[in-house]
Amino acid sequence: MSNNYDNILLERSPDEAPPQRGVNRRDFLKIAGFSFGGALVAGCKPGKVEKAIPFLVKPEEVTPGVSTWYATTCGGCSAGCGVSAKNRDGRPIKLEGITNHPISKGGLCSVGQAHLLSLYDSQRLIRPSKDGQDITWDEVDRTIIEKLDSIKNNGGAIRFLTGTVTSPTVKSLIKKFTENYPTTKHVQYDGLSCSSILDAHEKTHGARLLPHYRFDQAEVIVSFDADFLGTWISPVEFTSAYQAGRTLDEKQPVCSYHVQFESRVSLTGSNADKRVRLSPDEIRKAIQQTASLIAAKAGATSVSSALSGETDSFIKQLAEKLWDARGKSLVVSGGNDVQSQTQINYINHLLGNYGTTVDIEQPSNQKQGNDNELQTLLDEMKNGQVAALFIQGVNPVYDLPIGSQFGEWMKKLQLSVNFTNQSDETESYSQIVCPEPQALESWNDAEPVAGTFTMTQPVIKPFGQTRTVAESISAWMGEKKSSLELIKQEWEKSVYTRLPERNGGQGLQSSTSGFQLFWDSAVYDGFVKLDIPVTKRDFIVGRDAVPTGRVGDSTYNLLLYPKAAMLDGRHAHNPWLQELPDPVTKIVWDNYASVSSATANELGISEGDVVRVEASGTNIELPAHIQPGQHDSVIAIALGYGRKGTDRFTKIGPQWFEAEPTVEEGGLVGKNVAPFIKFENGTFAYDVQSVNISNTGKKHTLACTQEHHSLHVPKYLDPGHGERRPIIQETTFAAFVKNPKAGSFEEHELTTMWTTEDHKYTGHHWGMAIDLNKCTGCSACVVSCQAENNIPLVGKDEVFRNREMTWIRIDRYYDESPNGDITVQHQPMMCQHCGNAPCETVCPVLATVHSDEGLNQQVYNRCVGTRYCSNNCPYKVRRFNWFDYEHGDEMHKLALNPDITIRERGIMEKCSLCVQRIQEVKIQAKKEGRTIRDGEIQPACAQSCPAKAIVFGDMNDTKSELVKQMNNPRHYGVLEEIGVRPSVGYMTLVHNREEGEWAHV
Amino acid sequence: MSEIYSTLRKPLILGNKSYADVTADIAQPLDRKPSLPWWIAFLVSFSMFILGATAVIYQLFIGIGTWGLNNTVGWAFDITNFVFWIGIGHAGTLISAILFLFRQKWRTSVNRSAEAMTIFAVMCAGIFPIIHMGRPWLAFWVIPYPNMRGPLWVNFRSPLVWDMFAISAYFTISLVFWYVGLIPDLATLRDRTVSKIKKKLYGFFSLGWNGSNKTWRHYETVYLLLAGLATPLVVSVHTIVSWDFATSVIPGWHATIFPPYFVAGAVFSGFAMVLTLMLIVRKVMHLEEYITLHHVEAMCKIIIATAGIVGMAYMTEFFTAWYSGNEYERFTFINRAFGPYAWAYWIMFSCNVFVPQLLWSKKIRTNLLFVFFIVIFINVGMWFERFVIIMTSLTRDYLPASWASYSPTSIEVATFIGSFGLFFSLFLLFARLLPMISIGEVKAVLGYGKNNQQ
Repeated sequence: MSNNYDNILLERSPDEAPPQRGVNRRDFLKIAGFSFGGALVAGCKPGKVEKAIPFLVKPEEVTPGVSTWYATTCGGCSAGCGVSAKNRDGRPIKLEGITNHPISKGGLCSVGQAHLLSLYDSQRLIRPSKDGQDITWDEVDRTIIEKLDSIKNNGGAIRFLTGTVTSPTVKSLIKKFTENYPTTKHVQYDGLSCSSILDAHEKTHGARLLPHYRFDQAEVIVSFDADFLGTWISPVEFTSAYQAGRTLDEKQPVCSYHVQFESRVSLTGSNADKRVRLSPDEIRKAIQQTASLIAAKAGATSVSSALSGETDSFIKQLAEKLWDARGKSLVVSGGNDVQSQTQINYINHLLGNYGTTVDIEQPSNQKQGNDNELQTLLDEMKNGQVAALFIQGVNPVYDLPIGSQFGEWMKKLQLSVNFTNQSDETESYSQIVCPEPQALESWNDAEPVAGTFTMTQPVIKPFGQTRTVAESISAWMGEKKSSLELIKQEWEKSVYTRLPERNGGQGLQSSTSGFQLFWDSAVYDGFVKLDIPVTKRDFIVGRDAVPTGRVGDSTYNLLLYPKAAMLDGRHAHNPWLQELPDPVTKIVWDNYASVSSATANELGISEGDVVRVEASGTNIELPAHIQPGQHDSVIAIALGYGRKGTDRFTKIGPQWFEAEPTVEEGGLVGKNVAPFIKFENGTFAYDVQSVNISNTGKKHTLACTQEHHSLHVPKYLDPGHGERRPIIQETTFAAFVKNPKAGSFEEHELTTMWTTEDHKYTGHHWGMAIDLNKCTGCSACVVSCQAENNIPLVGKDEVFRNREMTWIRIDRYYDESPNGDITVQHQPMMCQHCGNAPCETVCPVLATVHSDEGLNQQVYNRCVGTRYCSNNCPYKVRRFNWFDYEHGDEMHKLALNPDITIRERGIMEKCSLCVQRIQEVKIQAKKEGRTIRDGEIQPACAQSCPAKAIVFGDMNDTKSELVKQMNNPRHYGVLEEIGVRPSVGYMTLVHNREEGEWAHV
Repeated sequence: MSEIYSTLRKPLILGNKSYADVTADIAQPLDRKPSLPWWIAFLVSFSMFILGATAVIYQLFIGIGTWGLNNTVGWAFDITNFVFWIGIGHAGTLISAILFLFRQKWRTSVNRSAEAMTIFAVMCAGIFPIIHMGRPWLAFWVIPYPNMRGPLWVNFRSPLVWDMFAISAYFTISLVFWYVGLIPDLATLRDRTVSKIKKKLYGFFSLGWNGSNKTWRHYETVYLLLAGLATPLVVSVHTIVSWDFATSVIPGWHATIFPPYFVAGAVFSGFAMVLTLMLIVRKVMHLEEYITLHHVEAMCKIIIATAGIVGMAYMTEFFTAWYSGNEYERFTFINRAFGPYAWAYWIMFSCNVFVPQLLWSKKIRTNLLFVFFIVIFINVGMWFERFVIIMTSLTRDYLPASWASYSPTSIEVATFIGSFGLFFSLFLLFARLLPMISIGEVKAVLGYGKNNQQ
């Protein structure tokens, strides 16, 4: 396979062929000199000289050094965020959010950012195969059509098993296919199932749909274990909306009240105003209790449920608050059981949230999986009732609990076709593999929310011979149309015709030129938003009919959860995501069994001890991680690990004799815990009762980017002072409303020995403000920075040695109260570009210097690597190249940003505030003869932030957003008191909680 | 020889030596073939050196990541070793220059070896700032030399540039001082030796010394001037080294007490190392009559004094941290004494403050075995002092999220061992090739206290 890729690389664009190790400039000169001398003496053969051939005919749009941007849609999950792909010299090198996108509003999560690297995955399947042998598409089509026809004649069942399909084109093609082959049924399921929400709505509203949640409209948000800021349904959209409901800097500050009931510590829980630790079963009881209290207020009755005193009284208060915020509250649950979800619907109904915060008139399509239908399919497969199976977008052999059996059943099928482009678990059981292209190389469309259509367009010529699902299906129906044609056809028929005239459309009368205009603008924007006719749906279940929740508790419960970035495991082959620290645990390259501190004490487990977790006949051995704030009865393990093909990461990171491999030879990254998932009452349950846990006595190193997790210094080194480092300013919303400077540290009068300012900053003076209140810690900025600034991969061992290279990190601090509750703070930390930088004075060779625009610049080729600057950095944000770090394999190097130098070993690097972007905008402004507009320069981190927590700007521009932020009473500088004059400021973190609800009080 | 000695003085050289005896005692070992113990010692030292050299070569090829350092801890074994070796060197200069200016006659028996020790220690020290660089092949960039890179120049605000000047000046002056002191003895060797090659070499390096009054007069003037030049270096070098830390913003480093504290520590560790070497040398080379108990006692007294200064500095640091009210500073010192590196702190404190107190007792400081163990403890303690200062401040500074721990890799340990290997190999070669005791100077003090000899 790799040879094929080498050829492709060479074919693609000659001047961008990957750097061949053999010949560089020096070697060239050496060889040239040698061959000249040799020719004089005896006509020696000259060394091989690689020639760079310029474009004789310059392709339109491709100007060396100038990037082009294409609007498209992220293929990382089914949320459908808008992506603007930055192309340089014919290949995408960076993905960014589309600012006015109706779903993502300009942000992009870590998965979306890292999706770029998946394009350059050298082990991607790029040509069709049958039983492991490469064949041509014609042969594929012939075989499949032949088989389908014979199956049709025998009346055999044909099944499409897919993930959530948001593409209207694919949906209509499958429908058409079904007309051709009437025994066809389309079954959708999600690796991270939300099936129960849809099932519950079928019960309560008569339609199987997923509501479109409007967190921006909610004043009180109650989430029962729904990680909506991290992994649940559409995190970028929800993060943006969540922050819209928490704007402090307007005339009328608003701050929603967010309560999170959860058993593990999720990213969402870590941001909650009030976080309640409950076991999975107690969460179900809490839902029931809330339902009964709200019902009582509404004059209805419902079964109540017993909870411990403190929780019970809290839920009573909460019910009051919810009732007061009728129509402006939102209750969600991440649990996948229909009973609880039905109660959630009941609560939202009684609170009048349908139509305000819970939109079922323009519902979401982001999750459509149906666990019941999947179960039916599994039964059919088991009984041999299925003749042909088409698999797309899912990996059932991996992510279903009975995965291995599924593989066996697949062997018995007359025809099994897989559209995957990864050599995954299911692929190896599939007869025919029809790889689809990666999202960035193909045309596609999506309707993530009813009425919102998004466009996916290719931004690079596809590698190999892949074919989209739409193209394949159309070929098997004898049409053989291209994706572009199919989508255009579909949009002309079903989107364009619904376009109201006022939006420039032609109403119901379609005309070719009108459609072309519409199409062009849709491709340009990347999305179209339609006002679709509203279907009113009423709550149809009587209040008495709301069933009671599942009850049953045990000493230890297993909770399987999706980890941010890894999700259901589909991105396990992406090294950027494997190396991204978990937003809460900060651990990389592994999954682990999280247990609470108390449970760890009780079981005598310490961090990294390998424990055996047993439940319902399945067992697994994983390293333990001690997680403060987790419920004592819960063992939480992330899904999405132990993926086939992750053994490729064995050699990631430097190879030297003391280095530990990132993955054991032939081993996988983490372990798959899907076998623990249970199918219960019509849905997949991610929590399992009656779990045994025991210490095996073995050890497994977990690599964590943080060693100390609290703002408090260790207790035994703190004789009576209760020292909490003044690094994060925090206050309550009530205190903030009274006094906007609430929570500020004591003002230090900063004295200086300098009589004159050494830096004048007569032109620009760049700076940044980070709103801790907006930052959720999601870590999108970390991957964005990695992609933008060519930050290498270091591997697990190097992270374990505290040598991660990311220029921006998110510091996460816990405050743990004696009863085990925690409050959490997230703080993005990068070079603070100090006006009085300690690093600058100590460098012996002037490799780090101050620019006259206030940037602290690192001069790579001057650096000799004394690391004195890093020692003297109070923020410890400098990163040293301890080895010659890799950027992945040869293919991955195509994702490198040509504006950024690759740093060799032995030199220091750090955040540059994306100086290349500053320069680009400056040049553009100069060309256009104007000044730089505020907000025009967006460093990669700020651009990517779904919460828009990072503001970059010119401190000399008094009208800029940055100066506005700096004059905000919440603004402060971290470690300002040591006199380094940081150019990056932070804004006080404001929680909507009572004074007493602080773990550290 | 015109000085009048008090009759109360005890003689410096025992055994009622004549001039010829002195020459014979000191120069004869150089004529003999090396003994078996010498070979064993040399092979062990040289193996250690080879081990270290291998480690350094491996590190140069693979990357500095083969050390246990990380983003938070940028220096550890490397700079610890550097400061340790630089400190060792200080005793040599102090003995040869300051004691010379103060007319401390007893220095004549030990100054040659002490100076040799200084040079070898500075050589060991000098390796570390070079190999600790990420790109050591560009180490010359810290030297301000005219270049074609436009306005590129070194950063004169950086203590590392000061270090470069301080160390190179120190090494140069120490070497010249040592060499000038050797000239009369080289001439003696030239005159004694029968080997033609040796004669040529000693002759070349003795610069045509003829022992005339005029030669001696010039020699003594030069020696005095060089002593005057070297004296400020005793204070300046370690002061500048301490500025590496003192000019930073890191709690536990940023302290004005550092220069005197470091200088005292350097003299302290230097004397411990001189004693370590001398106690072995006098035994092995049978120089008991030249390096007498009196010498040992004198050096022990200096050790007690400097141990007092060092101990005082340790406690002053705590007081300053408490008195400053700076919570970061306070924490750093509590962490130093009770945190994860507390073991290193207490090794340092015990070895440097408690153990030397034993030397108050005359019985102990005249018992050479005791003294030997005490000075070994001091050597260990002073290495740990630098380790503690560097590690505890770096591992836990301002932001708790970036706190990190450190442990050395085998490459670092091997490099550390290698520096000892280099030091001892050079010292053993020195013992075989050059007179360990200044023949000329010892002859000058033969009369000292002679009348009082029993």
